[in-house]
Amino acid sequence: MYPAVIEDYQRPASIDEALKAAARYDAGEALFLAGGQSLMQAMKSRLVRPRCVIDLQAVKDLKGVSASGAGVRIGAMTRYVEIAKEAKLKGAYGALGDAAAHVGDRQVRNRGTIGGSLCWNYLAACMPAANLGVGSSMELISASGKKRTLVADEFIKGPLDTARTDDEVLVATTLPAAPSKAGSAYKKWGLVTDALPVIGVAVYVELDGGGAISKARFAVGGLATGPKRAKGAEAALIGKKASDAAAIAAAAEKASAELETQSDLWADSAYRKNLIRSLGGEMIALASKRAAGQ
Amino acid sequence: MNKTVKITINGEVFEQSVPVRMLLSDFIREVASLTGTHIGCTYEGVCGACTVQVDGEAVKSCLMLASQADGHNVTTIEGLAKDGKLSPLQQAFNDHHALQCGFCTPGILMNMDEFLKVNPNPTDDEIRTGLVGNLCRCTGYAHIIDAVRDAAKRAR
Repeated sequence: MYPAVIEDYQRPASIDEALKAAARYDAGEALFLAGGQSLMQAMKSRLVRPRCVIDLQAVKDLKGVSASGAGVRIGAMTRYVEIAKEAKLKGAYGALGDAAAHVGDRQVRNRGTIGGSLCWNYLAACMPAANLGVGSSMELISASGKKRTLVADEFIKGPLDTARTDDEVLVATTLPAAPSKAGSAYKKWGLVTDALPVIGVAVYVELDGGGAISKARFAVGGLATGPKRAKGAEAALIGKKASDAAAIAAAAEKASAELETQSDLWADSAYRKNLIRSLGGEMIALASKRAAGQ
Repeated sequence: MNKTVKITINGEVFEQSVPVRMLLSDFIREVASLTGTHIGCTYEGVCGACTVQVDGEAVKSCLMLASQADGHNVTTIEGLAKDGKLSPLQQAFNDHHALQCGFCTPGILMNMDEFLKVNPNPTDDEIRTGLVGNLCRCTGYAHIIDAVRDAAKRAR
C-alpha cells in the first residue's frame, strides 16, 4: 500500500513558516507530519488523503526537553527514544518515560514523537493516557498568531479527536514544577511485548509530610471512548498511605468499576476491568514509591 | 505531485524527481535499485523487513516518504559489508545459522547494527526487546539472539 496522490510537500524551517504553509490550504487538506509513525499508516490505508504534507522535521523550536523553575517543557517533535531516557522526567513525571520506553519497537521510537501521538490520539496509544495521568498542558499556536494553552483534560477528546484545530500547531507539552514528593508511573498490557495497549494505566500522586497521598490522578487508555480519568479512584486515594495495600486495592477497584470498558477482538469488557484493577494497583504503588524518592 | 529529492544511500548520491507519495522503501528498491531492503507487510509497519538506517538510526523505510529523507544519509543492507568483507554482525549471523529463508534478515541486521552501537553489552532480554519490531517466521529467533550476543562479544 502507498498513500493517495499528494500534491505538495513542504519542509518549513520555523513554526511561522509551517503555519503559513498550512494556511494556503483549506482546513484539513494540509497535514502536519511529525515522526509519521501513525500518520504514514493512516495515509497508506487512505484513512486520510492530504493534498499537502508539511514535514516538521526541520523546525528546531519544536524539539527537545528543557527544565526551569516553572517546570518541564517537552517540544512536540521530541522523540520517544529521547523521552525514554530523559532524566528531567524521572520521579514526578516518570510515567512519560515509562510510556515512551515501550511504544511500538525501537525503530518506531527512533522516529515517533510525543506531539504526533498526542495530536493523533489513537484509541490504543500510550502518550494520551500518560499525559492525562500526569496532568500536562498543551501549547498551541495558530496561523493568526493566537496562542492558547489547554490542560490535557481539555485537549484530549475521543479517539482520533483533540481540541487542536486544523490551522494550529502543537508546540510543546508542559509540566508544572512538581513538589518534592511527587511521583508517577505508567504501564500497559498488550497481546505481545510492547504491543498497542489493550489497557494502559497512568497514576500521579503527591505525598504530604506524613507520607499520605495528598493529590492523585488516575488515567486509563485503551477505552472505546478515549482516555479517561477515574475520579472516584483519585478521591479514594486522598489521605491514604502507599503502605496501605487494602486502600490501594480499593481505589483500583473503584477505577475498574467507574470506567466503561468495551469488548472487542483483543479483550472483553470484564478482562479490561481486571486489567484496570491489576495495573492500577501496581501503578499507585510505583508512583507512591517514586514520590517518596525510593 | 513530484519533488526532486537528493538522498545519499551507502555513500552514493541519488538525485531524482519522484512523486511526493513515494515511500522511502520504494525509492531504495526502485530508484536506487537496491533490492536488499525487503517489503514484508507493506503497510502496517509491523514486520520490520524494510528497516534501514537514516543518519545512523534504524527506521522502517515503509513508514517514511522519500521526500522526508531528502538531504539525509541512508544506509541499507548493501552498505554493511566493507570491501567485500562481511561486517562482524553479518559474520556472526553466518556462523550461527541465524537465518533460514533470509527474507527478514536485512531488516534485522540494520536494526541490530544500530542496537549494538547504542548498547554494546546487551543482555539476552535486551536483545529480545530490541527485536520486537522485526518478524522472523523461520528461525524462532534463538539463533538470531545467539548471533547478536556473539557479535557483541567479538567486538569487545
